[in-house]
Amino acid sequence: MREVRRLLPPLDIISAPTSMQRLKDRGFSRAMERVLGMDPRDIIAEVKASGIKGRGGAAFPTGFKWESVYEAPGGNRYVVMNADESELGTFKDRALLEYDPLGPLVGMLIAAHAVGAKKAYCYIRGEYRPIERQMVNALQTLADCGWVGPHAVEVEVRRGAGAYIAGEETALLNSIEGKRAEPRVKPPFPTSKGLWGDPTLIQNVETLANVTLLFAHDVEWFRQCGSPQTPGTKLVSLSGHVKNPGVYEVPFGFPMADIIADPELGGGITGSGRLRAILLGGAAGTFLSPDQISATVLDYGSLGTFDASIGSGAIMVFDDSVDLSWVLRKLAHFFADESCGQCVPCRIGTRRIVEMLAQGGLYSRVQDLRDLAQAMRDASICGLGQTAPTALLSILDRPNWQGA
Amino acid sequence: MDTEKPAVMAEVFSILKDIPQDRSQLLVALWLVFEHYQRFRPEIVDAVSQYMNIPYAEVYGVTSFYALFHNPDGKNPLHVCTDVMCALQGADDLVKKLQALTQRSTVCVKECPCLGQCDAAPAAFFGKQVLRRATPDLIAQAIRGEDHA
Ligand SMILES: Cc1cc2nc3c(=O)[nH]c(=O)nc-3n(C[C@H](O)[C@H](O)[C@H](O)COP(=O)(O)O)c2cc1C
Ligand code: SF4
Ligand code: FES
Repeated sequence: MREVRRLLPPLDIISAPTSMQRLKDRGFSRAMERVLGMDPRDIIAEVKASGIKGRGGAAFPTGFKWESVYEAPGGNRYVVMNADESELGTFKDRALLEYDPLGPLVGMLIAAHAVGAKKAYCYIRGEYRPIERQMVNALQTLADCGWVGPHAVEVEVRRGAGAYIAGEETALLNSIEGKRAEPRVKPPFPTSKGLWGDPTLIQNVETLANVTLLFAHDVEWFRQCGSPQTPGTKLVSLSGHVKNPGVYEVPFGFPMADIIADPELGGGITGSGRLRAILLGGAAGTFLSPDQISATVLDYGSLGTFDASIGSGAIMVFDDSVDLSWVLRKLAHFFADESCGQCVPCRIGTRRIVEMLAQGGLYSRVQDLRDLAQAMRDASICGLGQTAPTALLSILDRPNWQGA
Repeated sequence: MDTEKPAVMAEVFSILKDIPQDRSQLLVALWLVFEHYQRFRPEIVDAVSQYMNIPYAEVYGVTSFYALFHNPDGKNPLHVCTDVMCALQGADDLVKKLQALTQRSTVCVKECPCLGQCDAAPAAFFGKQVLRRATPDLIAQAIRGEDHA
């Protein structure tokens, strides 16, 4: 099996990524024109039928989210493209926005048309300045087509300023509103009360790129790839001890081991040449041992048997020279630094984990760590606090695993 | 400082002249001002607060929230990723070398979390430039380029 390029443009494409010609070459103008002739309810039905799930981490069914925003009472409606991408080991949105920015942007316009939004925001992390420029150029092309602007959908690019938490959807809303990027208590969800209390649709860059592909083709085409439960392809960000680190596109259901080893993909383990583990999904991801990697495919059901998930699609590869408890200490520091401090279990919990790991090593206080993790999961406001101990627990749950 | 204050006020007002006085434009306004001064001294925060018509404490609250705005000495920040994947590729060593190189310069080295460039680790970020497979030479080149820009 090899890479499937649907979200990523063909390697031999010659049109410039932000050009009018690219819109045609990739079928994006066809997608936009088809949607402009459709009733919003039919657009939403098609997204639902495609089975597209969110690619930002939570895998929420996209069509259902659109329906919630469409049906929510309220005057103004907004669409937000989440390009804050700050998850450890994750760079697929950057690649997508660099190689083919018109795909996700057209997806955002399709979403605006479906939910009745006249205004959209592209929120991009402040460290992606070259990509921001690319995005602005692509928006100019869309304005030249008459699809962006005061008589269509107005789009504002918002630059973040270095806060991991700002990628959390409600924190992102506060950031756009000019406030501290602190998460809000949910419910209410942004679909009913988002920007300035109005219904707001927030989607990841890659999710929106999938939407454009869907409308450039149809549901049947879209579902030809991937698994029945999770149709389509996934971009993975492969880094660490592999021969060819980078972004790859594979269908859901693709063998995990092949992503790392296939000569056309990861190309095998470098460093010592012996695989110790991967960290899948980001800083709040799950470690998988070589046995588990061999036994799983890239899909939610398969990975769920090991309590793992795809998360952002980050696959960080570690050879057997890497001390996994060192990785855990780095992750713990990261969460302690990035906690917004709003709620106690997360603010204190993330610091306690740092201290416990520094004091006695991983296995000296297993029960304390588990209790703390439980409290953080139960009582934190947002995903950061709830999932900060996930990677740690994935190691504690395998006491016989050499390496940590 | 007292003679400087009205000057800063006028300067900030002129930097922000095209920005609507609307709370949702605050982050946009802060970026423009930060790119000019490379820091947020109290009189700068005060000027933004006056221009935007947002209380000082609120503006301060926002500036202090974001890592890229935290730059008390006002030198040009060179952000070097020392997160997991870059650390595996020698980022800590790179930071030490860069610190030695930039002593007594207008640049200050800051360690930062993942820059989303792990496929070309170690990574750094300076001004508007992203530096992949960063080496002291590459970074020195970028700093010189940025100075002439
Ligand atoms: C701490 C934290 C950080 C997040 N960062 C991002 C991010 O950078 N990009 C993103 O798309 N989603 C991020 N998310 C997920 C968003 O909250 C949200 O679920 C997502 O943008 C929805 O889009 P999707 O349904 O298309 O995946 C983050 C979540 C948490 C808890
Ligand atoms: S869980 Fe952590 S990051 Fe999330 S709101 Fe609470 S303190 Fe902030
Ligand atoms: S860990 Fe350094 S760029 Fe991702």
